[in-house]
Amino acid sequence: MSMYGIPSGIANPPRHSPQVDEENERLHSAAHGLLGPTPGTVVLVLVFLLAFVAYYFVNWKLLSLVWKIG
Amino acid sequence: MKSVAFRTCPITGLRVSADAEALIKANAVAATVALLTGGIAAIMVLLTRWQAVHLLPAEWFYRILTVHGMTMLIFFILFFEMGVLYFAGAVMLNSRVATPRVGWAAFWLMVVGALVTEWTMWTGRADVLLSSYVPLRAHPAFYLGVILFAVGALIVVAVFFATLVVAKREHTYEGSLPLVTYGAVTAAIIAVITLGQGAAIYIPTFFWSLGMMKVDPEIYRLLWWGLGHSSQQINVAVMVSIWYLLGALTVGAVVLNEKISRSAFVLYTLFISIAAAHHLLVDPGLSPAWKIVNTSYFMYLAVLASMIHGFTVPAGIELGQRLRGYTHGMFDWLRRAPWGDPGFSSLIFSIIVFGFVGGITGVTFGTEQISIIAHNTLRVPGHFHATVVSGTAMAFMGVTYYVIPLIFRKQIAFWPLARIQPYLFAGGMLVFSLAMTFAGTFGVPRRHWDISFSAAPFDVQFNPAVDLLLGVMALGGLTAAVGGGIYILVTVWSVFFGKPLEAGEASHVHVRNPVGYSEPTPPLPAS
Repeated sequence: MSMYGIPSGIANPPRHSPQVDEENERLHSAAHGLLGPTPGTVVLVLVFLLAFVAYYFVNWKLLSLVWKIG
Repeated sequence: MKSVAFRTCPITGLRVSADAEALIKANAVAATVALLTGGIAAIMVLLTRWQAVHLLPAEWFYRILTVHGMTMLIFFILFFEMGVLYFAGAVMLNSRVATPRVGWAAFWLMVVGALVTEWTMWTGRADVLLSSYVPLRAHPAFYLGVILFAVGALIVVAVFFATLVVAKREHTYEGSLPLVTYGAVTAAIIAVITLGQGAAIYIPTFFWSLGMMKVDPEIYRLLWWGLGHSSQQINVAVMVSIWYLLGALTVGAVVLNEKISRSAFVLYTLFISIAAAHHLLVDPGLSPAWKIVNTSYFMYLAVLASMIHGFTVPAGIELGQRLRGYTHGMFDWLRRAPWGDPGFSSLIFSIIVFGFVGGITGVTFGTEQISIIAHNTLRVPGHFHATVVSGTAMAFMGVTYYVIPLIFRKQIAFWPLARIQPYLFAGGMLVFSLAMTFAGTFGVPRRHWDISFSAAPFDVQFNPAVDLLLGVMALGGLTAAVGGGIYILVTVWSVFFGKPLEAGEASHVHVRNPVGYSEPTPPLPAS
């Protein structure tokens, strides 16, 4: 439910599942493997790290074109 | 003791003192006026850097660029942050403001300081840019205005600390400080360090401008960046606090681990001022060892803090969404998030652009060797527009959409426009920052009126791609300006002419103190 002129966090505040404790236990179970209870965020963080590595490498490559050795 | 008027917010259940509410409103209005002034200056600077338009003559370009930098980075940001300190201190802790009269005196001191500084800049008495490097000399009133503004801000920080003491002594909250308030404490500590360094350089420079003493340019740069960069770290601490707040308010995000999040804030306090050294990487007066220790070791501990928050905030959002039942697949929690809520969309765009563009470029340029090819090019403003504008200002805009109903108790006007505003602003700023960064890679200088060097006795050739990139930069910047204009229209109209929030529209909802818990919350009672 949303209301005109009122953000949804106020008009329709977030509510956790009625079985929040059981749900929390289930999400944290070892069955989820390496990605843990927040797999989507882990994937996004890996994308971030790849972007970081790529940009860092490109900048060193650019630097090598300015300062050539040999 | 004088009795203090409180109201209980029907939405959050927090007790809001009338003094805190009034001070938040005053600082928010001042911030919006500064944003409008700095935004107009931004458009003029943008249309000059776009070589195809080249709007302003050289003298006015540097004048307006000074106005833009000072008004946006100092006045807009700090007025807003003063409002955040009152919110995170008095409101979040259900407390009164320790000394409201002192708070008002500080506010007016900041207003006077800002007006004096604006007067010197607009009248051509301070064409020295934000950094005002010695030996560029401005009118003494310019430095005096900045000093008055900084003293006012420092007093507000003192009022914030005093309010924490009052809240503790009067038992207005239980347990530890909520995480948002803890983040605000971090920002306040950094503010004290920052403003101390500002005083250490602006006061001598004020006397230098009067011809009463000398100031060494290298010492000026060293100390000024202790102010100039550290002030942006106040922004980072406040922005991250707002991320936690907005995550909880919009989607019921949880704090994964209080200790880790709080430890990351401590890392900011310890190491973020040292990160200012990266501004001096090409300065010949400082040793390579000093530069490398500061920027390749200590700075990374501050970066580590941002990376921790950059994981815990979205992970808290994901876990909160999964606890609401959005458990299907890898990204169901993200797909089914409230993208029409400008508070949520602002939060996500702030995290993504700050991290992916501002963070990656910043850490890369902070490497001494790479700084050689990035220094004084458009890559640098490309970086800091991604951090300060797309990150901090976007987060401030997002939280405004909650401040208006919660503090001003008004509906948000022009609601359809408000819903698309974060998309326009963030999308425009993303294009703007990337185009600037790429143009800088081709060697386009920053702070430069005319890169074609027309009428100069020499010729400088750039890759033809630069013209395209500067055009893309302008389109992105103008799109962001439209988003910024909508934000100002929506906020001003809502606050002064908006429809009051009726009790029935909000009293049926109940949100727990959003960031005072470390475990997933139990279900809320049905309304």
